[in-house]
Amino acid sequence: MKYLITHRSQYKYSSGVALCHNEARLLPRQTPWQLCQPSRISIKPRPALSLERDDFFGNRVLYFAIQDIHQQMEVKVVTEVTVLKQRQFSPDSPSMPWEQARRMLQETPEPEIIEARLFKLESRFIGLDPTYLAYAKPSFPPDRPLLEGVVELNRRIYQEFTYDPHFTTIATPLKEVLSEKRGVCQDFAHLMIACLRGLGLAARYVSGYLETLPPPGQPRLVGADASHAWLAVYLPGEGWAEFDPTNNCMPQDRHITLAWGRDYGDVAPLTGVMSGGGSHTLEVSVDVAPQPAAVAEPATTRRDQEQPLSR
Amino acid sequence: MIEASVAHKERPLSPGDTLLDHYSVAESGYDEMCSGPGVLRPHWQDLVHLLEQLGGAELERRHTEIQRLLQADGVTYNAYGDPHGYQHWLVDNIPLLMTGEEWSELAAGMAQRSRLLNALLADLYGPRMTIRQGWLPPELIFSHPGFLPACHQSLPEGRRWLVFHGIDLARGPDGLFRAYGDRAQSPSGAGYALENRILLARALPMIYRDAPLRRLASFLETERATLANLARHHPENPHVVLLTPGPNSPVYFEHAYLANYLSISLVEGEDLVVRDSRVWLKTLGGLRPIDVIMRRVADDFCDPLELRGDSLLGVPGLLQAVRRDHVALANALGSWIVETPGILPFLPLLCQQLLDEDLKLPSIPTWWCGRPADLSHVLAHLDRLVVRSILPNQPYWEGNQLDEKTRRTLMDRMQAAPHLFVGQESMPLSTAPVLEKGQLTPRPVMLRGFAVAEDDGYRVMPGGLCRVSNGLETVQATLQKGGISKDWWVLAPTPQRHVSLLRQAYGPIVVTRDGNDLPSRVADNLFWLGRYSERLDGIARLLREALGRLLEWEQDNTDERCLDDLLDALEIPVPPVAESPRARFFALREALLDLLLEPTHPSSMQALFSGILRTGGAVRNHLGDDSWRLINRLQHNIQERPIESSARQARDSLERNLTMMAAFCGLCNETMPHHQGWLFFDIGRYLERVLRTLDLFHLAFITARNPGLPLWEVVLAITDNLTVYRRRYRSALHPTAIIDLLLFDTDNPRSVGYQLRRLQRNIARLHRPDNSPYRTAEERLILEAFTTLQLADIEALAALTHDSTRSSIELTRLLDAIQKPLLSLSDALAHSHFSHAEVPRQLVTMQP
Repeated sequence: MKYLITHRSQYKYSSGVALCHNEARLLPRQTPWQLCQPSRISIKPRPALSLERDDFFGNRVLYFAIQDIHQQMEVKVVTEVTVLKQRQFSPDSPSMPWEQARRMLQETPEPEIIEARLFKLESRFIGLDPTYLAYAKPSFPPDRPLLEGVVELNRRIYQEFTYDPHFTTIATPLKEVLSEKRGVCQDFAHLMIACLRGLGLAARYVSGYLETLPPPGQPRLVGADASHAWLAVYLPGEGWAEFDPTNNCMPQDRHITLAWGRDYGDVAPLTGVMSGGGSHTLEVSVDVAPQPAAVAEPATTRRDQEQPLSR
Repeated sequence: MIEASVAHKERPLSPGDTLLDHYSVAESGYDEMCSGPGVLRPHWQDLVHLLEQLGGAELERRHTEIQRLLQADGVTYNAYGDPHGYQHWLVDNIPLLMTGEEWSELAAGMAQRSRLLNALLADLYGPRMTIRQGWLPPELIFSHPGFLPACHQSLPEGRRWLVFHGIDLARGPDGLFRAYGDRAQSPSGAGYALENRILLARALPMIYRDAPLRRLASFLETERATLANLARHHPENPHVVLLTPGPNSPVYFEHAYLANYLSISLVEGEDLVVRDSRVWLKTLGGLRPIDVIMRRVADDFCDPLELRGDSLLGVPGLLQAVRRDHVALANALGSWIVETPGILPFLPLLCQQLLDEDLKLPSIPTWWCGRPADLSHVLAHLDRLVVRSILPNQPYWEGNQLDEKTRRTLMDRMQAAPHLFVGQESMPLSTAPVLEKGQLTPRPVMLRGFAVAEDDGYRVMPGGLCRVSNGLETVQATLQKGGISKDWWVLAPTPQRHVSLLRQAYGPIVVTRDGNDLPSRVADNLFWLGRYSERLDGIARLLREALGRLLEWEQDNTDERCLDDLLDALEIPVPPVAESPRARFFALREALLDLLLEPTHPSSMQALFSGILRTGGAVRNHLGDDSWRLINRLQHNIQERPIESSARQARDSLERNLTMMAAFCGLCNETMPHHQGWLFFDIGRYLERVLRTLDLFHLAFITARNPGLPLWEVVLAITDNLTVYRRRYRSALHPTAIIDLLLFDTDNPRSVGYQLRRLQRNIARLHRPDNSPYRTAEERLILEAFTTLQLADIEALAALTHDSTRSSIELTRLLDAIQKPLLSLSDALAHSHFSHAEVPRQLVTMQP
């Protein structure tokens, strides 16, 4: 599937900003299942300096600094991305028992497996607590194939939790998400990662976009999309399997990957430090526009409760 | 048996050796001075002989002298969490001796360890072979907050991660040295080692001069040269700064000390800014580029853009400037990770893999519980181990001191997250002599040695910091809590030439006169130091006068009505009418003493002095040593509470404060070059003084409850003008004469006229940020105030005695017209000169 993605953020400040330094993780990463054309980046006012690099996790980071006094800032990134439908894992893929995955992760001296152990540790937004393990445990009876357990956990979070964009903020503790059973995609991804790490497995946070489909008979609204978040779990020696608990699915060609890391803290789309500025307002609009492909794709029906992140 | 075979070289002690009468060495342990009960090691014999010649009593006297010098120099540790908790550093005057051979071996091990940790950092933030190959478990590194993913591949080719390295060391019962831990992100202590050496040289001058010991100066010269060589862009004349977290840091003394010693600027995060990926110092004259930063701010606080977003101590964009190689940091950001005790068990293997060498300096035996075998070992031998967290700033647990419940909880915690714990052998430390009550007593000691990068390797300081310690608390912990330290002497075969600690420059130098490159923050603090000093002086004068009147009244029943006006001037509510004169005396005394002693009162002596301490501390290296000694003495005098609340004692204490304040300001005038920094100090003082004088004037001639002669006399006394007046007029007080003396006489330093003229002259000398030909706002304001005074109609005011209503309206008008522009002056100065001290903020808060 081919998309033209437009992500635009606009900050308006109550007083002038004399200097700001920013980091954007808005350039989609290249993966075996995702091909990205060069992005068109437009930043207003024009930054004095902008540089791209790869971070520790292999994500593309754009650093830029605006050094003239300004009252507003706009960052717009337009990228054409082609996502392949076929992924390594599907809900029915056979997999090893989850305990074996845990043991292999700990004991196999393969560089790739050793490095994946980073993703089974606590991280800034995902503390480890026995309550997450207790929540996950029913889906992981002894000897259950790993993917089977994760598919069930994914479904349970989808069914038992309410999507509520007004309940949480970045600062809401994960424990509160679990006890109140409410949140947005970012919270559900964090929670599911906490459950998997509690089991001794490696799981990472993925940020990106989801193509949303208009109700039947209505035109697609431009700019009404939003950023999205999901996660991936590691199968030692095989690879990473992605899950989207907000939509009870395994991402395929409608999920466009931006970046991944231990949690949201590693992949926040836009961060910055500024001098001055007073208070500010932020306006974000995302547009995921499907592009005509050479071969027509079969029509997809809308899944009614599909929920992107709208923070 | 071994000891017996070498005993012929060693001198048995005779009973007359009083210093050593009670020096009893534990049989199982290792003593640095004695190889057995009463048997001195050869390299101590000369020193002990000389010490005995001095005798215990003399040594005690010199010990007291050292502590006095320390206090006078203000060598303090500012204990965390306690703003008033400046703890004094204690220095023992018996050095710790080490032979040159023994030290060379130790130094080789230390230098190798520095190379090893540097190589490890290069790998962890680069290819991570140590992790991929399984030499170092990922849990150990990635669980630690000191591993900063943002620093991944941040250091340009050819740069070194570890420039400075501190190693904590102790000798075990077997006489072998072991490393207990490493300080990598901002290794402190070298400055204290230097201060200890200077103090000991003063306390034992003869012994020090003739002792064949290795000097420290050349090591510090290497530190300076290494820093200068890090500058790639201006190798000729590099701009090096020391970045400190500020006066609240427990080791701020050392930062100021080293910055002065190495002749580099002491700066805080808010003095720096990153533009065009370069680091600049914000000065009165604009931005000046920085080439090298000697960094004493913790890793994660250094860059709020990429590291801790809530940090106010760092510089946004710093890491980006490092990546582009526009600035060099010593040490590089990210080096914190090698401080974890968790890596100790892995060092022998890492040394082989990374350096292809055997590890020379062993570490204290340590087990990392993340390995199942190590966990079982630690749990099984808990009784003789110390358990530590691998994370920073955590407590430790002594296995044999735990009650059942704590032990259980600890074991549960260890089993739940074993990778976060290590077990360490608890080994008795070697003992060294410490002077106690005129006797030498063995105390366990720990050392901190220092290495600095030089050429391809590292150079080790011949000596270091020696601390009396039980070995459980790390040297860092004792650094933060204070304690007893010793000088560590490395002996040389022959006496070494004493090298002055003032180094000689060889390279070219750009002659400068301290001026426009003064950081704006420093100017700001000097201005406020001036204001606080003058305010303290003003309050002290009012208080002294009030207490004096109170005492006279008590003795002679003189007229005391002007006391109420003095209370008004001090902004103390006048106590309600008392039933008896006695009760009134007590009420007044209490109100006045409160202002002297109560730290919570905003204009009490205590509160004002803490303002002096705060602003003075922030610009400590711009004040002379003697000025700083006076601040220390003032601190003692002000914070010392009298045992009984006596008005007389309080007045005497104020008398002393006033003399010291006068000495402090006088010294500043005499010793600070009268450039930009001093100008701000002086403007601060005179702005405060003129505002206070105007207030006093207003009180005496316009708002007084009891106007008249007694009050005028008080005003003259407070402004130090009574003598001048008497000499000049030799007559009773006359308001016109007083007005001339206090308002118009531009040659009298206590007059408004003089003060305004001085302000005008100094303000005109301030640097103009934009070189505009027009008058600045502050110039216009002072011009307005001074002109108003000069244009005043003296005749109208002089009629004060005849037609009091009209002239007091005139006077009120005049005073208000002078005061108004002066009240805006402070803000105008701040806006023109200190304004780029604005604190940066995060775009989005990223704290979970």
